[in-house]
Amino acid sequence: MKQKVEEEIRSGIIMTVFSTASAVGKTLLSVNMAAELARSGYKVCVVDLDLQFGDICNYLHLSPQKTIYDAQKAAENTVGQLDYGEYITPYEYEDTIFSVLAAPLNLEEAYNISTQAVIEVLAGIRGEYDYVVLDTTATFSDLNLAVMDLSTMITFVGIVDFIPTIKNMKVGYDTMRSIGYEKNKIRFVLNRSNSKTHIELQDVEQLLEERFYHILPNDFLTAIDSIHQGIPLVINDEETALGRGMQELIEKYTNRARQKSSRKNASLSSWVKRLFK
Amino acid sequence: MPEYRVLLIEPNRIMMERLSSVVRNTKNFQLVSRAMDAREALGQGGVFVPNLILLDIDAQESMQLVREFVRAFPQAGILALSSQWNAQASSAVVKAGAKGYLIKPFTSEELIAAINTFGNSGMGMISEVMTFFSPKGKSGKTTLIANLGMALAQKSGQNVAIIDADLQFGDMAVFFNLDPQSTIVEATRDIKFLSPISLNSYFMPIAERVRVLCGTKRPEFAEDVSPKAFTDMISMARSLFRYILVDVPSAFNPISVAAAEASEQVYLVSMISGGYEGKHMQRALDIFKAWPDYETKVKTIFTRVEPCDIQKQQQLEALIEYPVCSILPNEYLLVSEAANNGRMAVDIKPGSPLARSIDLLAAQIYGRPYKVG
Ligand SMILES: Nc1ncnc2c1ncn2[C@@H]1O[C@H](COP(=O)(O)OP(=O)(O)O)[C@@H](O)[C@H]1O
Ligand SMILES: Nc1ncnc2c1ncn2[C@@H]1O[C@H](COP(=O)(O)OP(=O)(O)O)[C@@H](O)[C@H]1O
Ligand SMILES: [Mg+2]
Ligand SMILES: [Mg+2]
Repeated sequence: MKQKVEEEIRSGIIMTVFSTASAVGKTLLSVNMAAELARSGYKVCVVDLDLQFGDICNYLHLSPQKTIYDAQKAAENTVGQLDYGEYITPYEYEDTIFSVLAAPLNLEEAYNISTQAVIEVLAGIRGEYDYVVLDTTATFSDLNLAVMDLSTMITFVGIVDFIPTIKNMKVGYDTMRSIGYEKNKIRFVLNRSNSKTHIELQDVEQLLEERFYHILPNDFLTAIDSIHQGIPLVINDEETALGRGMQELIEKYTNRARQKSSRKNASLSSWVKRLFK
Repeated sequence: MPEYRVLLIEPNRIMMERLSSVVRNTKNFQLVSRAMDAREALGQGGVFVPNLILLDIDAQESMQLVREFVRAFPQAGILALSSQWNAQASSAVVKAGAKGYLIKPFTSEELIAAINTFGNSGMGMISEVMTFFSPKGKSGKTTLIANLGMALAQKSGQNVAIIDADLQFGDMAVFFNLDPQSTIVEATRDIKFLSPISLNSYFMPIAERVRVLCGTKRPEFAEDVSPKAFTDMISMARSLFRYILVDVPSAFNPISVAAAEASEQVYLVSMISGGYEGKHMQRALDIFKAWPDYETKVKTIFTRVEPCDIQKQQQLEALIEYPVCSILPNEYLLVSEAANNGRMAVDIKPGSPLARSIDLLAAQIYGRPYKVG
């Protein structure tokens, strides 16, 4: 009897987008993941956890009335279930619709957000969506660690620009592993591949002792054009390699979720090989 | 090796004997005169032509005393002696004209180190702390700090420190290709027991007159650096360096705020990327505008500016409604290659537009009159 009730409660998949360097494309990827998941028929909410300088609403040209600040404050002051619909800003373009929980309107609010209350908000939101995409900042803050703990999957975005960035990817990944995150929970996505660098991809993979799960091409004009129009790349009529790359990433992620068992075995063997080489 | 002719002023007899014996037993040091009473030394010490005065300042009216010694012995260097480190007293004696501050009792090694650190610079030990703050990260500030540090040392001929307080993901050590023995974690952990001389050894030398205190080796060590110990460390470093450049984590957090508050000058740095960097810069500026003296204290810098000319600079000023103090050109290949090889762009290509912009900024800083308080 109890089990039946639990089955009926939706428990959305939490996809966190993280990195150890700034400006690697987390926000661009977050909005596109949300848009593509929405296009695939899922109910999606993207949450801006770059509390001080969040860009989600900038990249989508939204002017939110209520934000995560109001939501977490309400959560702190209320016992029991809250209706989070009130705090959501809808994004709508043609037939793509998804929800945005915006970053605070000002810095004072951003500085006064309780991690505990945000976690409560996420737990509530999770019950109403298939997917919750969390856009973060490049730091191991209390908040980021707390949300990574409850994430189903962490998309670790990296770029290969120069050695300091790669060092930080490495120490960041080592830290996440030492905290106890499963390898399988962390997916490396290389963004801006083919940009002007002199560093070989293989060398980076060797250093990380990990392969990139997915690679997205460098295409600055397409990226910036999408930001300026406020329309995610994946919905744009004009097909681009970057937009397609993002769609393919979501295909990989959602396939995995749907046909869990068969895919799991396939990837397991390659994991095992790598683990015991 | 120069010969140091020491005049020692110490009111306590036992301490006087102890310090005298250290001075006598230090190579190239000669104890030419000593006094338990400072007034007496002021009147008679001159006959022995000392060139180094070790002056107790735990007795009363010490600042006035330092000033009188500076006037009476213009050719000598003065080191203030105290039984404990006190940041305020240290900066006060330096402002009064002493070369530095030494904790007593000291050993021969400490005495020599003090002379090497303070003596050779020939400076008034007035220091300026500058924090480089970025709203969102990837601003080009680490590149800027590393190059500016070198340029400032060259231009001023004075000691420059770089402190990597970007606690979790600081990369100054990679920029300079260093494998540091000690980092900001140890320096702040030990700060209570340090004096300026011993703090100096936590900084790694990277060029003549440029030293760097490297960041944490692992992100989890960031928690060990308390903002209080961090600001104590900065104030002690003031008696070692003329310019202190601090790299901090992006956005507002306890460390970036503490560094900004401990600084004479805060530079907000942002990289042009065609996104919302102007908006973020304004948002950060609005917070600093709570400071009554923000107009002189807070400056802005944009990096990767194309074209890097005065029109563009004025455009940026109009965008953020605030003066832009410096713009740096787009030189991606030069700076990333330099960082990959542990070298500095200003060294590899001294004539490049980037090096010239940084030189201009260094000249601005060097030419700035020092504001007391
Ligand atoms: N694949 C890409 N190719 C070119 N530019 C990109 C790509 N992905 C992101 N960018 C650009 O990089 C900048 C930073 O992206 P953003 O998503 O804001 O990064 P983050 O959220 O990690 O700080 C933006 O100007 C964006 O347009
Ligand atoms: N003036 C510049 N022009 C072009 N690229 C730059 C410039 N300064 C820095 N960069 C590049 O930007 C990235 C970040 O630089 P960095 O100095 O590490 O910034 P931050 O410390 O703000 O993260 C590096 O890839 C670096 O090579
Ligand atoms: Mg972002
Ligand atoms: Mg940096």
